[in-house]
Amino acid sequence: MLNIRGAAAGLVLLLGLTSCGITIPQDPDGTLERVSGATLRVGVTENAEWVQLPRAGDPAGIEPGLVEEFAETLDATIEWVPGSEHELAQDLSHGQLDMAIGGFAADTPWIKEAGITRPYAETRDERGKTVKHVMLVPMGENAFLLKLDQFLQAQEVEL
Amino acid sequence: MSSNGEEEAARFGHTELPEEQRRALHKAVKWEWITIVFLAVSTFLVYLVLGNSQAMKAAWIEDLLSFLPPISFLIAARIIRRRPTESHPYGYHRAVGVAHLVAAVALVVMGAYLLVDSGIGLVTAEHPTIGGVTLLGNTFWLGWLMVLAMLFTAGPPVVLGIIKMKLAKTLHDKVLYADADMNKADWMTALSAAVGVLGIGVGLWWADYAAAILISTSILHDGIKNLRAAIGGLTDTRARTYDDSRPDPVGERIDSYLQSLSWVREARSRVRDEGHVFHIESFVVPRGWPGATLQRIEKAREACVEMDWKVQDMVIVPVSELPEEFLPGLTQGGGEYR
Repeated sequence: MLNIRGAAAGLVLLLGLTSCGITIPQDPDGTLERVSGATLRVGVTENAEWVQLPRAGDPAGIEPGLVEEFAETLDATIEWVPGSEHELAQDLSHGQLDMAIGGFAADTPWIKEAGITRPYAETRDERGKTVKHVMLVPMGENAFLLKLDQFLQAQEVEL
Repeated sequence: MSSNGEEEAARFGHTELPEEQRRALHKAVKWEWITIVFLAVSTFLVYLVLGNSQAMKAAWIEDLLSFLPPISFLIAARIIRRRPTESHPYGYHRAVGVAHLVAAVALVVMGAYLLVDSGIGLVTAEHPTIGGVTLLGNTFWLGWLMVLAMLFTAGPPVVLGIIKMKLAKTLHDKVLYADADMNKADWMTALSAAVGVLGIGVGLWWADYAAAILISTSILHDGIKNLRAAIGGLTDTRARTYDDSRPDPVGERIDSYLQSLSWVREARSRVRDEGHVFHIESFVVPRGWPGATLQRIEKAREACVEMDWKVQDMVIVPVSELPEEFLPGLTQGGGEYR
């Protein structure tokens, strides 16, 4: 059977920690702390109006615009890393990227390699199916994810 | 739940239930319905906030499995009312055992699956991702809702468990007992899941898997315990009390009553549990044939049936000596019901 005292003690301990000023959630690998005031590594892959990669200069489109604004709130400079979806997913799972964009949908197959944000916009594909748009983040970096979620949910995305 | 149902429910097969058991059965049916309604609400609530927590998933699956015992009980309670028929001369009491077995197998399978699943998550160090949720224009951490849902679902099952435990004793109902026992332990599941989620919150990703492993272990433990009890019942082990803690004292009482009769030299019974009621075969060695009249045997049987409502399907077999092949342990001296 479960250890009652252990569970109760754990709960008390955790509640105690929260009241001592530790913010919840925390990042196990400290992403939010590392990127704040420093470099935000963003994976980009081309996808229609969401992400465009011109031959010269920074990525353009809806999502790079959002990411630039988000980076500003963190006082971070962006390092754009282009690659295929597969490469970006692998980089995320190995901690070599802080986030990835490319018109990803909430039913993305990369959920074993990456975490996803809340859907921040909805469109319909040519078959009339609803597409919920999300961005990819490293798995389990919940403080960073919450920060990004709070930013994205506050945006009015013009389609 | 209609008044008609209540009227019909006053019997198990051809056993007329005494007033106390009749009321207990009526209450048990009512409380099992309340349990089902509560479970429906809580599984829906938890489903809404499920997210990526393994511990929440384990707790949710346990909630889903908790539907099985009350449903089994309600179905069995209908079936066992039927009187014995030509094709079912022993009645339908075994329906309880079948329901018990089905619920136990489900618990074992899901417990084992969750244990393996959580273990894999722990080994592959897949960090559980829980982000924000937007409610009323505010985006905050989904983990808080998970903890809230768990704390909300922790209390009520304990109360349900305590109430149903009493009824299980009165009704000698092992499915109801198993259900009550699981409910009573439910708050530990909820608390573990809450601790797991808070663990994720403070950056301890493994806390979630640790909680999930605890929860699945407890599901598996419940399953194995119930499986043993259910198989024991279906394979005719000696009748035990509703909580399987000791042999039911009814057998001993019948033996000592029969032995106390003036025309009886020796008496010994074997008792099996058919669900709620017992099947009893009592072997009696009379002191001499003129003494053991049919009338006396019938009177002795009636006295035994009066002794306990569970005793109805009882036969008294007059024999010249106690048959060892039917009464194992006879030659070891002491009574069967030590």
